[in-house]
Amino acid sequence: MIPRVLFVSFALSLAVGLGAAAQQRSIRGKVVSAATAEPVAGASVAVAGTPITALTNDRGEFSLSAPEGAVTLLVRGVGFKHAQIPVAAGAGDVTAQLEQDVFNLEAVVITGQATGVEQRNLANAVTTVSAAQLNRAPTQSLESALQGKVPGALVQMNSGAPGGGGQIAFRGVTTINAGVDPLIVVDGLVIANDAIASNMNAITAAAAGGNASNQDNPVNRIADLNPNDIQDIQALKGASAAAIYGSQAANGVIIITTRRGRPGAPRFSVTQRFGTFGVANKMGARKFNDTTEAFGVFAPKVPRDTATRTVIRGLCNLPGGKCPFFDNEQPLYGEHQLAAETDASVTGGNDQTTYYLSGLVKKDGGIAPNTGYQKQSIRANLDQLLGSRFKVSLNLNAIHDLSNRGISNNDNTGTSTYLVYPTTPSFLDLRPVDGVYPVNPFAPSNPLQTFAELRNSEDVWRVLGTSTAKVDAVTTPTQRLVFNLTGGLDFFSQRNDVLSPANLQFEPFDGQPGTVVLGKASDLRLNLVGSVVHTYTPASNAFQATTSAGFQYENRDLNLTNLVGRTIALGLQNVSQATSLTSSQSEQPVKNMGIYGQEEVLLADQRLLLTAGIRADRSSVNGDPRKFYFFPKAAASYRFVQPLAGVDEMKLRAAWGQTGNPPLFGARYVVDSTQVVGGQFGQFPALQLGDPNIKPERNTEIEAGLDATFGKEFATLGVTVYRKVVTDLLLVQSLAPSTGFATRIFNAPGAQLSDKGIEIAAAVSPVRTPEVNWIVRGTFDLSRSNIDSLPVPAFNTLGFGTSLGAFRIEQGKSATQIVGSEGHVGDANPDFRAGLSSDLTYERLSLGFTWEWKHGGDIINLTQLLYDAAGNSVDQVPAGNARISAWSDSLNPQTKVYVQDGSYLKLRELNVGYELPSSVPRHFGMRTARVSFSGRNLLRFTPYKGLDPEVSNFGNQAIGRNIDVAPFPPNRSFFFSIDVGF
Amino acid sequence: MRTYNTRAFVGLTVAGALAVAACNFDITNPNSPPSIGPNATRAQVDAAAVGLLAALRTDYANWVLKAAILGREGYRLDTADPRFTTELLAGPLDASNNAFGGGQWQPEYRTIAAGYAILNAIGSAQITDAEKNGVRGYVQTLQALSFLNVLNAHTQDSIPIDVNRAIDQPLAPLVSNDSAYKAVIAILDSARTNLQNGGLTFAFDPGPGFEGFTTPATFLQVNRALAARVRAYRASLGELSGAVQTSYGSAGWSSCAACWDSVLTALAQSFRSTTASLDLGAYNVFSTGNQDLPNGLFQDPATAINLAHPSVADSVELQTGGTLQDKRFLAKVTTRAAFSLACLSSDLSWTRYASPNSPIPIIRNEELILLDAEGNWFAATGNKATAISDLNFIRQTSGGLNPTTVTTGSTDSVFVNELLKQRFYSLLYEGGHRWIDMRRFGRLGQVINDRPTGCTSPSISADKVFSHLPINTFEVQARQ
Repeated sequence: MIPRVLFVSFALSLAVGLGAAAQQRSIRGKVVSAATAEPVAGASVAVAGTPITALTNDRGEFSLSAPEGAVTLLVRGVGFKHAQIPVAAGAGDVTAQLEQDVFNLEAVVITGQATGVEQRNLANAVTTVSAAQLNRAPTQSLESALQGKVPGALVQMNSGAPGGGGQIAFRGVTTINAGVDPLIVVDGLVIANDAIASNMNAITAAAAGGNASNQDNPVNRIADLNPNDIQDIQALKGASAAAIYGSQAANGVIIITTRRGRPGAPRFSVTQRFGTFGVANKMGARKFNDTTEAFGVFAPKVPRDTATRTVIRGLCNLPGGKCPFFDNEQPLYGEHQLAAETDASVTGGNDQTTYYLSGLVKKDGGIAPNTGYQKQSIRANLDQLLGSRFKVSLNLNAIHDLSNRGISNNDNTGTSTYLVYPTTPSFLDLRPVDGVYPVNPFAPSNPLQTFAELRNSEDVWRVLGTSTAKVDAVTTPTQRLVFNLTGGLDFFSQRNDVLSPANLQFEPFDGQPGTVVLGKASDLRLNLVGSVVHTYTPASNAFQATTSAGFQYENRDLNLTNLVGRTIALGLQNVSQATSLTSSQSEQPVKNMGIYGQEEVLLADQRLLLTAGIRADRSSVNGDPRKFYFFPKAAASYRFVQPLAGVDEMKLRAAWGQTGNPPLFGARYVVDSTQVVGGQFGQFPALQLGDPNIKPERNTEIEAGLDATFGKEFATLGVTVYRKVVTDLLLVQSLAPSTGFATRIFNAPGAQLSDKGIEIAAAVSPVRTPEVNWIVRGTFDLSRSNIDSLPVPAFNTLGFGTSLGAFRIEQGKSATQIVGSEGHVGDANPDFRAGLSSDLTYERLSLGFTWEWKHGGDIINLTQLLYDAAGNSVDQVPAGNARISAWSDSLNPQTKVYVQDGSYLKLRELNVGYELPSSVPRHFGMRTARVSFSGRNLLRFTPYKGLDPEVSNFGNQAIGRNIDVAPFPPNRSFFFSIDVGF
Repeated sequence: MRTYNTRAFVGLTVAGALAVAACNFDITNPNSPPSIGPNATRAQVDAAAVGLLAALRTDYANWVLKAAILGREGYRLDTADPRFTTELLAGPLDASNNAFGGGQWQPEYRTIAAGYAILNAIGSAQITDAEKNGVRGYVQTLQALSFLNVLNAHTQDSIPIDVNRAIDQPLAPLVSNDSAYKAVIAILDSARTNLQNGGLTFAFDPGPGFEGFTTPATFLQVNRALAARVRAYRASLGELSGAVQTSYGSAGWSSCAACWDSVLTALAQSFRSTTASLDLGAYNVFSTGNQDLPNGLFQDPATAINLAHPSVADSVELQTGGTLQDKRFLAKVTTRAAFSLACLSSDLSWTRYASPNSPIPIIRNEELILLDAEGNWFAATGNKATAISDLNFIRQTSGGLNPTTVTTGSTDSVFVNELLKQRFYSLLYEGGHRWIDMRRFGRLGQVINDRPTGCTSPSISADKVFSHLPINTFEVQARQ
């Protein structure tokens, strides 16, 4: 198939005669904004019907060689509408004025692997987030910068731990047991977003057995990217938009384009930020009046509790047996360490070569001792023209990040802070005395000691590189043929070190004091993507047809090794010095290949767009690795110009498409578990039965919508409705345990999941003068999922058993329903979400903010249950007692008291800036200077009683977020920044 | 020049695509071996036989702990998980959770299935016919043990026995508890026949947990020891009143007076011995070694959260001489600073397992001598004087105590009181013996209920003593 496509392309390229080079002349010019007369830098100027293009420099100037005779220049600038400038024969100087494109209607949106159409013709609701929108406030991980900005996306962090760990989920529930993360494509390269556990589980024993578990609060590796390098992000939310990415695109595609160079003298810009992080919320603890009240909770029995009572009497030593109060959370999470970030970039070049170089050094202190995050990143993006038809681009990015994340989430050893504090009375002072941490007699550990002396670091080195070669093989006034070949490499190496020294209070518990964990992960991904794009516009200009075809090959190799050493002497840290050692290794080699073809036709005066495409994929994770699975798509849109008074433009659109979601690695194998018993190797059937016939899920989506612009670009509105249906659903079905297996994974015949939803994106530009520019963007969305058909009995997915609240997959119910002892008790899916962003500039002042509102969506609050069960909640009497007795009532147990409303309203970003008058920076030899104050998550309003409604004990999950077990508390951050340009 | 570029580029693209298309996408699993199948080699049989022990021990520590809580041998005062002080003591039992109310089901049936995987493949294995019989006898013995472990937690009539089925076959039918006991006895007896035809040596090494029982002939002694235990359980359940049997969720165990006699027969063929160590027996072994499993019951006594029930100290007798407590008490628990949680407290830590490398008994000589006492008291062919002397042997050898005051003329009830007390201290924290014993002699009402009116802070409803765990939710659901 591939060779044939290529052969046809090849033949085509030879058949179309390559016109003889015409005589050349030089055209110079300048591109300026029509509104402000400011030069437009980085605009592209193309000679219509030829491959000749040039970019404008900082002063908006360009020069190019054009054929003799009259030509037309096609000028495009980001944020501006394009312009066609006729240049008469002999004319050499041109000025192009570009109208502002307030709502980016003419921005080109990617609709194929190598093609794109303008936003105003687009048949899908693709959201584009620009660099300006991304960087209102500094972020540790890209997810946070998208919160509240993409309608249809649920973007949530998993905890407040430094360094990231968050999930982006488009359009409701896409799967139950297959992959959950969107495909992330950076400059054409599919990059890794693995979340590799630290194996903190060796300390917490959150999951039984010794293997790494997903309760370790891992960071997914999208966190490595430097947000400052990003030009824009396009979110393809559903199958109808993403079908051309085939069998890996069911969760949507995030297409990230990094900044590129502009010709001209080198232009430096440097941003220096200083700030700090602070805890956004704490649990609080019960205040005890006197020994009598304390005895009632911590030592109710005489005479057996005499020893505990003696301890309590010693602590409640105020006159009259009154108890003191210590806020033990404050010394742990009350830090305000310095955070600093330096970004620098330089761009420049000439007609043939442009470059963009950037560097980032970031060091964020955490809110707890020994926690924090550091990142260093350098990037070089180079573009080189070779002659007029051949262009090579090279992007290289090297990243190092280091995070220290402390200990959080579920445990079974009394080591995670919020599993210790519930039973630790507030009259106990855990702070060290003369450097010695007091033993906590009420729980296995003293978290202050744990955080002070335990190390949990994650050190990641990553290299991303792509090189693209593009050949403009044929360019005539009616035809254009372009070949593209991109090779990409994404390699990262992650090292996790956990060292729990022998003197920690909990360490002797298992008889093996001192624990050391060394985890090493490496992931190599190689991509090869080739495409050919042919554009045909007849001389009559009646239509424009774009035909594209290509292939994509991907080779992944994820390799995980982990060593756990136990019984290691204080002061030692090398696993080889541990008395006992447990090792584990996992390799996940995957090969994927896809081929595709697509046709886009723009006709009726560029008002009607018709698209059809198909992709075929095969993968080594499927039961039959040789079999191709086909994913088609089709779309249409029609644009009405000034259909009504006050309406500039209105577009009706509809799109249909299919994508796949591949089985997770290993699903196709029927294998044994292995263990050593008495020094001998043994193997026995694994808990999960694999399926040699496993195949990808199929996601079919139809979306329809209406986009309109009003009042001479005063406002824009986009409304989208969609329905997607997932068939060939991969289910991890609980089997009758008497079969010997706990579960099996298979494509349940007839199983079907569906989502429907509405998304609204609106923007208003109330003031647009040279002095004042104000744009307000709003988003709104809601989605509802339903298990349409389930050929297996209803089953629980995540949770800790029904009595503690569990997610249950049940026919006819929402996919995210939560059940408890008494039956249905809630749903994690929010009723709706909304976002509001505003960017206002008034002369030199600017103000920007983003609010995000999530309404509804329940959370299983087990942290509060732990406090209540210990009689130690801040509101224990009477509310906590009422909750725990309702939950534990043996006749009528009520789980619902701990399944709580997770609504929130958060001020995600705030930025106040001032551009200094140019005389000031000039005095210091700078071109521009700006000072700003920015903050993230400065305000939050929520009825939720846990630490934070953004929580996921099990990390990124299709279903089963919103389980709150002793998370790392949420943080807010403040930064003061200075940006200067040279 | 342009033409050349294009051609070179297309050529490169084609070459790249061809190279890609030629790639082999069929990747074998690099992480785990396939399950045992036809024509298994000796090494594969060995690995599967050892793997069966791994499957067997998976649930043992959990069972010992959970049954100790259900039978009030101890508590787990776990600040991180309230279910040990709520669900397991006051209910309701959560049948959906393998670690709590829904337990003693999935890992046991997994072991049984692992056994069938071997039995189904062994006919074509590359070992001798006698060795095949040895493997069969070994596997069946451990399967019977796993079935018994299911029955120990489940007295109700909902047990699948005929589970050797392909995954797409209908599920094995549920049978009555009475039938299930009979099936376990039959499997043990079938295993005996296979072991008797198993030649002189096994094709594999059962390992250090079976020291002294590593040949078909000696392994048979373990098989018979288990047979004695099953028959004693079966016999005592058959003596219970109909009302009690119904309250356990069973339609009833048929009376089996002859079972007491067969206890004695089986014991005679077992390793029961008053001259050998009381610890002689079969064990689940654990270690902190690589890829091994440590004994999860070990906890540092100073900071332990698995604690012995205060009644272990309250009812302890003093040794001959009147100063020191029962040797078994001194060996198995130690005092620590009192620890309280949820209206429960204890100042007794377990020392029963001295390290994470300590084995947990499957069955050992001390239990066999006590079974001998039980059998001799109740069996038609038994001798009550032997029963008394067995009890005294345990009291003196194991506990350092004076002889019992029970005589051959004592009532059954008085004898059972003494028998259960000795079993309590001898088999403390070894696998739910207390709970099983109190149940099979109809004495669950005597199990100490610490919170008869519940707990107020935190609020927990009144404790109850469960007779059995519910059937695992997933078993029930799969049959709906």
